[in-house]
Amino acid sequence: MSVVARLDEARAARRQKTLIAFNAATLRLGGKTIIENLDLQVRPGEFLCIVGASGCGKTTALRLAAGLYRPTSGSVTFDGEPVTAPRREVAIVFQDYGKALLPWRTAAGNISLALEAARVPARERGARIEALLRKVGLPGHAGKYPTEMSGGMQQRLQIARCLAQEPSTLLMDEPFGALDAMTRQGLQDEVLSLTQASQTTVVFVTHDLDEAIYLGDRVIGLLPHPGRIGIELDIDLPRPRDQLATREHPEFLRLRRQLFDFIKATEH
Amino acid sequence: MNRAAILWRVASILVAGSFVAAWQLIADLRLVSPVFLPGPDRAWAALVRGFSSGDLAGKLIGTLEHMAYGWLAASIAGIALGALIGSSKVMRAYVAPSLEFLRPLPVSAIIPVAIAMLGLTQGMALFVIAFGAIWPIMLATIHGFAAVEPRLYEVARSLQMSRAAIIGKIALPSALPDILAGMRLSLTVALILSVVCEILAGLDGLGQWVLLSARAFRSADLFAGVILLGATGYVTSIAVSLVEQRLLAWQTAAR
Repeated sequence: MSVVARLDEARAARRQKTLIAFNAATLRLGGKTIIENLDLQVRPGEFLCIVGASGCGKTTALRLAAGLYRPTSGSVTFDGEPVTAPRREVAIVFQDYGKALLPWRTAAGNISLALEAARVPARERGARIEALLRKVGLPGHAGKYPTEMSGGMQQRLQIARCLAQEPSTLLMDEPFGALDAMTRQGLQDEVLSLTQASQTTVVFVTHDLDEAIYLGDRVIGLLPHPGRIGIELDIDLPRPRDQLATREHPEFLRLRRQLFDFIKATEH
Repeated sequence: MNRAAILWRVASILVAGSFVAAWQLIADLRLVSPVFLPGPDRAWAALVRGFSSGDLAGKLIGTLEHMAYGWLAASIAGIALGALIGSSKVMRAYVAPSLEFLRPLPVSAIIPVAIAMLGLTQGMALFVIAFGAIWPIMLATIHGFAAVEPRLYEVARSLQMSRAAIIGKIALPSALPDILAGMRLSLTVALILSVVCEILAGLDGLGQWVLLSARAFRSADLFAGVILLGATGYVTSIAVSLVEQRLLAWQTAAR
């Protein structure tokens, strides 16, 4: 058997395994059904994007996976175990970086928070912080407070703090929703290169359909009231993705049309 | 300091100087009897005399002690209780109405109660000062703890931080601006109540000095005591502000 065939087989085997599973997960909050009978499998190493009209429960689904909510009925499992609370190998990148960072701590201090929580000895933290800042493109900003940084830089900082957890899974809740187009494209490519290299599993919630197709191995579209799966698309665009070539690819345009039609049909 | 700031500072000193000059003028022209109103020259002389004889320094230390102990006790208890109440929605709902009743209660009204229970003692003074000074601190702490950004608690949960770490690294630093503002307010309350307790209970301090000077018609000594009390309030308040600026440097970093 050739090396390529064996690699393909290994990849196929990994694809079949499930890291996060929603089994008929239902969540009711305050008498309202936010998510109903959601069945969803996230495979290890995959980049899964969740899209949908606002109020379709995509953020809620992410919070269920994170253990910030617990399902009213059904179950959510991580690596076969029920998710009852957040776990250190799962990191969450929130949309509102301004609220998720500690304003009284510098960039280095904010990353340090994750290292302190993971009981990394104080003398090792400095080097780790420096490496993480370099990784997200913020070298030399260690001493800055979040309020002294631009939105893009703050989001990079939050991502660095999440990477400090050394997570196997990243849950990202519309992380670039508040950023301008140029910053957003730069960060998309950085997240791809950071997560592809380390085989990190990513669940990425966004309302930007192009972004979902550009980033994902798979895109799931949710239907609103209550949230459930309406469409599932496998994205077989070549990697590494490129902001120009990928977005001009005929397959990209076909998927984009399909996804737009789906979203349009859900919005009445 | 830039030019404009220097000009403002000079102007404020000139205004203060003209007040003293007006005071001197009124005293020299005997618009008010010198028995009741000494000029700034006589008040200053009394101040120097009081310090060189050592009497006034002892009284000043007495007042500073009352103020410091009461304020520290109020700070520790206020922050601890405020954190306890502020970090729990249930506690806030249960305790808030009682606090609303106790808070506007004039502290002077509980002095007779404190005297009846504790006598004319230092302990009574400590209790009264701490009781009065605790409110601004406790209410500010409750508010600070209740206003912690909920997202930060989620960050803490996702990092699996311990309860102690969440209080020490998230809630307390987040509430610190409120807490320090409350501590600065209660400093004034502590000074006022120190003087009141000294006057009522005859405890060693500037309050007692002022009262005895007034009774003996030594108006220069009386004014020396009042000036010293004003200076005490001013200096302690500046000291706390400096600590505040130092601890909250992050707030001004962006501006």
